[in-house]
Amino acid sequence: MTLFTKDDCVLCEKLKKQFDLSAMDVHVEVLGNNDAGALAHLAWHGLVERARKALPILVMDDSSALHEFDHIESRLLDRAASCGVVAKRSGKQAGCESGSCALQ
Amino acid sequence: MGVVMPLNAETAQARTHQVVNEDSTDIALFVRSSQDDMIGWNRQRIVDALLRETFLDRGTAEKISRDIELTIQAGKVKTITGPLIREMVNAKLLEMGLEEARRMHTRLGVPLYDVDQLLVQHNKENANVPHGPEATNLTLAEGIKKEYALLQVFTPDVADAHLSGDLHLHDLGFIDRPYCSGQSLEYIKKFGLNLPHALSMAKPAKHAEVLLAHMVKFAAALQSHFAGAIGWDAINLFYAPYLEELDDDGVKQLAQMMIYEFSQQAVARGGQAIFSDVNIYWEVPKHFEDVPAIGPGGVYTGKTYREYEKQAQRFAWALFEVYKEGDAAGRPFFFPKPLVHITEKFFKTDGHMDFLHHICEVASVKGNTYFVFDRGDTAKISECCRLSFKLEASDIEDAKQPWKMRYSALQNITINLPRLAFKAQGDDAKLFALLTEKLQLAAKAHGQKKKFIERLMSLGKGGPLSLLAMDLDGEPYLKLHKCSYLIGMVGLNELIRVHLGEELHDSEASIKFGLKVIAHMNIICSKLAESMDMKFVLEQTPAESTAFRFAKLDLAHFNEEAEKVVQGNREKGEVYYSNSTLFNVGAVMSPIARVEKEGLFHPLIEAGSITHIWLGEAQPDKEALATFVINVFKYTQNDQVAFSPEFTACLACGKTSRGLSEACPYCQSKNVDGITRITGYFTKVSSWNKGKLGELHDRYRNVDRFNN
Repeated sequence: MTLFTKDDCVLCEKLKKQFDLSAMDVHVEVLGNNDAGALAHLAWHGLVERARKALPILVMDDSSALHEFDHIESRLLDRAASCGVVAKRSGKQAGCESGSCALQ
Repeated sequence: MGVVMPLNAETAQARTHQVVNEDSTDIALFVRSSQDDMIGWNRQRIVDALLRETFLDRGTAEKISRDIELTIQAGKVKTITGPLIREMVNAKLLEMGLEEARRMHTRLGVPLYDVDQLLVQHNKENANVPHGPEATNLTLAEGIKKEYALLQVFTPDVADAHLSGDLHLHDLGFIDRPYCSGQSLEYIKKFGLNLPHALSMAKPAKHAEVLLAHMVKFAAALQSHFAGAIGWDAINLFYAPYLEELDDDGVKQLAQMMIYEFSQQAVARGGQAIFSDVNIYWEVPKHFEDVPAIGPGGVYTGKTYREYEKQAQRFAWALFEVYKEGDAAGRPFFFPKPLVHITEKFFKTDGHMDFLHHICEVASVKGNTYFVFDRGDTAKISECCRLSFKLEASDIEDAKQPWKMRYSALQNITINLPRLAFKAQGDDAKLFALLTEKLQLAAKAHGQKKKFIERLMSLGKGGPLSLLAMDLDGEPYLKLHKCSYLIGMVGLNELIRVHLGEELHDSEASIKFGLKVIAHMNIICSKLAESMDMKFVLEQTPAESTAFRFAKLDLAHFNEEAEKVVQGNREKGEVYYSNSTLFNVGAVMSPIARVEKEGLFHPLIEAGSITHIWLGEAQPDKEALATFVINVFKYTQNDQVAFSPEFTACLACGKTSRGLSEACPYCQSKNVDGITRITGYFTKVSSWNKGKLGELHDRYRNVDRFNN
């Protein structure tokens, strides 16, 4: 499972704080100005255009992808439960008003 | 400076022993100047030229001129050309270690032998240049401008990188023009044909045929101000207000006129047909729906373009009827290239399946159709072999006044990827460092061209780019601040082969590493764009001659490494690298696999990509192709697809047959020529360079892949 994120992405940061992703064996790719590997990985999954609209994106082990924040959060909660990692649903409605939650 | 002719050779020889102290004006020599006249020998002219053109001091210039005078007097010369005097001065400058002065004093020109060859032999650098006096003029002028560019516009490091084949600066012969232009018909609908320096001006057209005449003239004027393609946005929609009075026959006639006008116009620059593209929509694009329509006479019709959907569809349909018929001999039209945008809205618009079948039939029968995929909210205008300009928020705002929509790329520079792999010797870090270095050099070269064009544009309406400076809508026609600067690549497939030992189609690991290379290019372009405030974007280079040039140069300078990976036939000299990020053209892959896998690269290449499906003799049924196109749109990231059949045109009986044959199947004449797509356009195979001939031989034809 891979979570595609970006450093200044509010929603990405929210997930990173909410979950102990490494303990859940979720690989985090940080898209930015220096990591061609992360961008290439995103392209391999055919998700570049999708990421230009919104981040984060969660790619499952079967290569299917989730783009809606609520769906990603739910899937990560399931994963956390199956890994015995404590996590709870965020209370507030997620939103990104700044427009930073997308690949430039 | 010019030819030095002893009036009396014996007298001249006799004088050689005493010339040192002789006043040069007394020497009995005449100079045939480059201004076509005979002037008396005057050493001072050398001094004047050196002081005018270089930074030498007078004393040095005087010394050089005296030395040259001595040499001339000492030589048993009956005829000396003006250029020769200059070269003698240059040799002297070199001898004295004055390299910069020599560079500044360079004379641009063409050797006699080369001109002799050019006049009789076909220049095949660009298959769209025919053979004739106009083409020769073009080639000669290009030759001099190319030299000028490498000496004067670009710094030596950039020029050397081009000459050595590290990168390729495209269209150096058109150094004083931008690369290509995409625009709206609305400009001439609104302002008429009002060109700087024209002998007359025309008001906005009142009739469809006149609008067509304006469009063709304007395209020709643009062709003489841009190096490459001239594209037109939503052509069927913008013609629509002129079509209401026409019945179906009239619309078909107009479509026929348009296609013939552009495909037969081999009378413009260098005898070339205008490399023209027409963007076509079945639906009314969202950003034009509520835009007030301009009609005959340049006046608003009182309707919006949303209300012209049916008229626009009539024209689109008619255009493809003409494409399907082909020319008088049944051959496909080479230009204008029809680019049909497949969008989300396309599939929601009535009649789309009929139209899709119609254009797929044309794709199968004649190959003309280009399928451009605009997924989600993407909107773009496409042109050239695959170039596209994605419309940003400000462009969508401009769409409210569509005549403002014009887009240009100022220059195109291609990086020789296999060479980087030769140098990196399997070291990833070194490979990416070298790639970064070349991208920085390309950005520097773009900055230098930008500066040069800015200088020409600053001369305004009295300057050489007056057409691009015209400001009928309040802004110069060339919006320099919005120009893109293209960076392309050749030979990703061969880079991978050198670096990993296998080709792109061989494994997932190859594709993933290839994606990393292109992602790196994408990221560095973004960084350079930010730091230099210039819009650097990746484009799949068409590389009609560059793929050949790089392969040839690498075989010469990196022979041991290159001969393992260069494609084609080395014995015949038909060598090439794979274009851009394309997979090996000969790889046996299903068309959908090729489209899907090549398409993974396309979102990283923002200024345009394409996948070619070579059909050979195959003629798939329209339903099969339509299903294929729908699947490409829905399930891949591919940007653009074209299907390329092959034809044999008989020059004896005039008939056209399917497939490439050595003899005409109708009359058995061997006086035939092949026709198929070279890189992004159809042309005659006889005009192809050797590299592309090698590629043609290797292409995998999808003969049995579409169930026909």
